[in-house]
Amino acid sequence: MLSLDQVSVTFNAGTVNEVRALRDISLLVEQGEFVTVIGSNGAGKSTLFNVISGAVQPDSGHINLDGEDMTYWPEYRRSHDIGRVFQDPRLGTCPGLTIRENLSLAAIHGRSAGLRRDVKKGEEAWFFEQLERQHLGLEHRLDADVALLSGGQRQAITLVMATLTKPKLLLLDEHTAALDPNAAEQVILLTQQLAEANDLCVVMITHSMQQACDLGDRVIMMNRGRIEFEIAGEERRNLKPADLIDRFHSLQDGTELSDAQLLS
Amino acid sequence: MTATASAANQPQASALSANRSFILRGIMLAVIVGAFMSLGNVNIGAIGQGLGYALAGVTVFMTFRVLGFVDLTVDGAFPIGGAACAILIVNGHSPEYAMLMGFVAGALTGMATALIDIIFKIEGLLASIIVITAAYTVTLHVMEGKSNIPLLGQETLISRHSKAFRTWLVEQFGDQMRRQSTNLLEIILFGFIVFIVLGILYWFLRSEIGLAIRATGKNPQMVRATGLNHNLMIIIGLMTANGLAGVAGSLVVQQFGFADVSLGFGLIVRGLAAVIIGEVLLRPRSVGQLLIAAVTGMLVFDISRAWIFSALDLPTTDIQFVSALVVLAALGAPRLYDRWKTYQQRLGG
Repeated sequence: MLSLDQVSVTFNAGTVNEVRALRDISLLVEQGEFVTVIGSNGAGKSTLFNVISGAVQPDSGHINLDGEDMTYWPEYRRSHDIGRVFQDPRLGTCPGLTIRENLSLAAIHGRSAGLRRDVKKGEEAWFFEQLERQHLGLEHRLDADVALLSGGQRQAITLVMATLTKPKLLLLDEHTAALDPNAAEQVILLTQQLAEANDLCVVMITHSMQQACDLGDRVIMMNRGRIEFEIAGEERRNLKPADLIDRFHSLQDGTELSDAQLLS
Repeated sequence: MTATASAANQPQASALSANRSFILRGIMLAVIVGAFMSLGNVNIGAIGQGLGYALAGVTVFMTFRVLGFVDLTVDGAFPIGGAACAILIVNGHSPEYAMLMGFVAGALTGMATALIDIIFKIEGLLASIIVITAAYTVTLHVMEGKSNIPLLGQETLISRHSKAFRTWLVEQFGDQMRRQSTNLLEIILFGFIVFIVLGILYWFLRSEIGLAIRATGKNPQMVRATGLNHNLMIIIGLMTANGLAGVAGSLVVQQFGFADVSLGFGLIVRGLAAVIIGEVLLRPRSVGQLLIAAVTGMLVFDISRAWIFSALDLPTTDIQFVSALVVLAALGAPRLYDRWKTYQQRLGG
């Protein structure tokens, strides 16, 4: 269970460039829940992820995962419990290393690296099985350099790596945005599969209203560093992309108006 | 079914053929260099010297290529390692112990650079220049205030075996071998040490920590996302790398018969040249091949420099200038060749 308690983040505080990226955000994600996050650029979605993963320190507030306060943990330590997939397929895997080496690195997840062999004999069957489930044929190319794979393939491997050691929380930052429609569909299917199989907390940022309606149990709309509205339960089940776009626009118009007022 | 089977076999087959072509290139290079040396009248002492410096080439490979860290610390770690080794030998310790301490001294120098980079967020280039500057004084202090420590008459790795080896050599191959006995002994001893060190390093780079270090150089964001402390990997990586420079310093000090505070001058350029020469000539792919290429590059560097000296009959005072020329050739030639090739293509098209 992930809980954020009145978390605020301000960049460039006290200067003319001051940006209040998050304003008193409180959020609760239950065990096994799948939450999608939407919002326009600059709404604070990525900052929300960065503050959860520890890349950015909050000015105030607390972040708990399964009852443990990890507000002051460094990024790498939080990563023991958090799997992440980024928008850029190049960020999640390591070029110059083979698929097998990348997976081995992910398998260290949650404990510290030692002097054991990097690629262990016993892990082979495990990796093969994990990749076989994706039906991408990558299980036969364990010794291929990751740099030679397409964006979709790299993203699929990143997903497997992020969930390999069953983290408590999975953060997906527009992880299909850079992929072609076909690959995006594949990766979304895989995401659903992995989330259900591992009973994970999942938080996913997306710009696709379709994805926001198709996936998960709850939709969160962010705007100017705040959670503007949440849609859950019955309303969420009957939600259509068009409804979401309408509500999105009504908000957008509001902000544009206030911008215009500010400038006049 | 057959398609899957062939897909499964393909990587293995390509890995095998990559290994075979690497070995072929290595043999070809050895033949060419050998012919070069006998025709150009290059003394085999150049090989011994190349082996002495070889681990400093591996240092540069580790920092620039594996960690992706622009690190000049080798210029400071090398003389500190040499100084520590020399002072311990003079004080009656065994050469092996002295070399181990040479490693430790080099590793601590590398740690200083890593900590400056991590704590103060000063980038590697600047951090290592700061460390080199400080290392000069530390080296002088290690050498008890003297800028030069002679090892004449001390028991070093080489002097320990030199008499017995010379007698054996003269007995076996006749009196004409007497002149080459020290050079041959250096090649055997240093070759053995470099081989052992490369073996340990290969094993280390193929461990979990080694894998994390290799990944840190390519994608630190991913290493953090995997729950590994990438700063720790930089510290371990730089310590290992510069520890090797310390060992190289210890070897060279015993070879020269003295330690000197200015021994590391220009070493970074030499190491870079070794890495690039090795990559251009051998086109290595795997970790093991890359390590061998760095050592080979240093050998080729020393041999070609020795050849220029004997061909042009230059005085030893010109050594740094010739070094710079060889490095320039190693760095510049591949680029000129590329430009020439695109120019030709444009003409053809």
